[in-house]
Amino acid sequence: MEELFTYTDIFATKGVEYLIIIAFFILIVAFWGLVNMRPQ
Amino acid sequence: MDRRNFLKIFGSGVATAATGNLLNPAKTNASEDNQATEFYGILVDTTRCIGCRRCEKACAEANGLPVPDIDELTNKSVLEKMRRTSDTQYTIINRYDTEKGPIYVPKRCMHCNQPGCAAACLVKAMRKRPSGHVTWDANCIGCRLCMVSCPFDIPKFEYTKAMPRIQKCNLCYDRYKKGGIPACVEVCPTQVLVFGTRRQILEEGKRRIAADPDKYVNHIYGEYEVGGTSHLYLSSVPFEQIGFRKDLGTVPYPEYSTGFLFAVPFIFVLWPIAMLGINRATKKDDESGHGENHENKEHEKGKH
Amino acid sequence: MAGEKLDTVAIVEEKDDSPKIKNLSDFWTFLKKELKPRGNIATPFNLISLPIMILGYIFIVYRLAAGLGKPITNLNQDFPWGLWIGFDVVTGVAFAGGAYVLCFVVYILRAEKYHAIIRATVLNGFLAYLFYAGAIVLDIGRWWNIYNPMIGNSFGVNAVMFLVAWHFFLYMLAELVEFSPTIAEWLGMKRLRKILGSLTLGAVVFGICLSTLHQSGLAALMIMAKNKIHPLWYTEFIPILYFVSSIFAGLSMVIFEGSISHKVFGDQIDEAHHKHYDDILVGLARICSVAMFGYFFLKIILLVHEHAVPYLNSPMGYWFLLEIIGFVLVPCFMFAHGAQQRNTSTIKFAAVITMIGIIINRLNYTFIAYNWYVPLSQKYWPAPMELIITASIILTEIWAFRWIVNRMPVLKEPPAWARKLH
Ligand code: SF4
Ligand code: SF4
Repeated sequence: MEELFTYTDIFATKGVEYLIIIAFFILIVAFWGLVNMRPQ
Repeated sequence: MDRRNFLKIFGSGVATAATGNLLNPAKTNASEDNQATEFYGILVDTTRCIGCRRCEKACAEANGLPVPDIDELTNKSVLEKMRRTSDTQYTIINRYDTEKGPIYVPKRCMHCNQPGCAAACLVKAMRKRPSGHVTWDANCIGCRLCMVSCPFDIPKFEYTKAMPRIQKCNLCYDRYKKGGIPACVEVCPTQVLVFGTRRQILEEGKRRIAADPDKYVNHIYGEYEVGGTSHLYLSSVPFEQIGFRKDLGTVPYPEYSTGFLFAVPFIFVLWPIAMLGINRATKKDDESGHGENHENKEHEKGKH
Repeated sequence: MAGEKLDTVAIVEEKDDSPKIKNLSDFWTFLKKELKPRGNIATPFNLISLPIMILGYIFIVYRLAAGLGKPITNLNQDFPWGLWIGFDVVTGVAFAGGAYVLCFVVYILRAEKYHAIIRATVLNGFLAYLFYAGAIVLDIGRWWNIYNPMIGNSFGVNAVMFLVAWHFFLYMLAELVEFSPTIAEWLGMKRLRKILGSLTLGAVVFGICLSTLHQSGLAALMIMAKNKIHPLWYTEFIPILYFVSSIFAGLSMVIFEGSISHKVFGDQIDEAHHKHYDDILVGLARICSVAMFGYFFLKIILLVHEHAVPYLNSPMGYWFLLEIIGFVLVPCFMFAHGAQQRNTSTIKFAAVITMIGIIINRLNYTFIAYNWYVPLSQKYWPAPMELIITASIILTEIWAFRWIVNRMPVLKEPPAWARKLH
């Protein structure tokens, strides 16, 4: 009945977020290339 | 009229000797708002409620709302389905069929310590009084953000009226100012409701739990929920079984908006600086002005 | 900053009035002449829009007399905000965001390429605010108290809504100042035109501050609905999401509105300008696609940050995926592709998809993903009268826009004397 204290890690997602940011850095380079590509 | 006189006149009418009891403390301390030092609230002991709905009736009478018919028969049928407070009902009783049999639960505004509704209101129509009452005033513009911002879905809007109001329990603020206690507390035949300062009712709740740990769950709903409320609930079953949300957290709702509100002055200082800086930095030195015509002219030249 | 700006704005208002007062009768004859409709009145657009507008006005009167509830709107205690807030105000303001983005690009970054469309965009933004502010009057229940946040006796200065209300009001003034040179040119007031022109930069800077804050402020309104908005959409960072999305929402609107204007008012624009316009579209498409790319990643990061990934495999999750892939990622690449190929029809199509996506996104926050646990049968759905009133507001705005474009040098070249200034 009583509530036990459960530990929740409020920073649990930080690692994944940084990985997404690294993926973003890689993809934005490709995307920037696409946006600025000259039409053939 | 200066402040002292003002207080004297206001205070004299209601000043009484400080000899009240727990059930009736409004008489002990009540004078003007700004003399109250603690929030008042109600402790609701759901284990004692018999579902007679007399509080609903008393509430309606005290607040000029349509008075419900509460004879034995209608009583039963009304309790069949889950109800919510509405623009004509500040307080309602619901029956929850739990493992410990039927439990009757009065529901109304929780009078949060830091109410989302009051923080949302752009004209301070919704206000937390120093005495703990959360009240509504007629300078409301009817934007209904208080309804969006209340974690308990309490403020109700009169959609069908041309001159609508926001309707919700005000903890009988008018009666309080006259030294009375809320109508529901007064009428309850089984003392489900205990009116007092938040500290008093919290102590009373803890005392009851400690005195009978088998009867109550060891939790007072409203002690920490949304930063604490002035309505506190005791229960014999876990609170989610009697219609209370357990996912509201303990952060006072107004705090969610602070991030944005605190950013405002920074934007107003930093943006102009940044933009004027960029504007100056991108200026060609031979240009004489920044008027749009000059640019227009350049533009025309390029075009033709 | 704010107070100082307020003063200059007030001065402008006075200056704007003074010449009118001097030759009041001249002004009236001029205005009377200008108020007369021009050209053919019985166009298909007029014939369709006029009945809707009139019906809308009748419903508006009825709404003011009878209150907000059924049959006018389907709003109820579970859904205090519906189409009028969600679409007219919140979405409308996002669409009006093009004005501040372009002002930034043209007046701050001095990208002169876009100068040709700045007047139409600012006008559009100003009218959008004017009419959406009008929609607020309809939506607020106690509309006779509307002045309370401005000149009332109890300012709820801690409330987000207070800021939004003031920013709306001040931003309308800023946009009026930005647009006022055009009005002065129309009236032929040369001295005034010069003064107003010199205020532009100040109004732009102030306007961008206000826009930043109320675009995000509209999201901050929803921030205390933490337990009501579906976890896939709720995050404490929605103000940032709203701000970023207002950039491409606004520019998509500029593309959309510009394409229509160029067809309808094509006779006011010369050939060289028409050609140049494709360049503008390509440039706007680039800005949109990059902003959307960033926005998409913000959405993904927040999805993880809010521990909302498990919700993806549910009906609401599919709806969310549709929104961020179908209406953000897809148009993002369409913009990029269209810009690269200089294909304006792809760009225009992407703009329309983006706008639909923005509508979906804003309505999600106001009533679709709001109180998402309410059974479908009890969900809010716009009532016919709500839709008609909304349509009549939009049509009225279009009429006003058309009236101004046909008379003032918005798309037309400014008069020669104005071009010779400086
Ligand atoms: S329960 Fe709702 S209405 Fe009552 S004080 Fe709290 S936020 Fe306000
Ligand atoms: S509806 Fe009235 S009381 Fe509620 S937030 Fe708006 S102005 Fe305040």
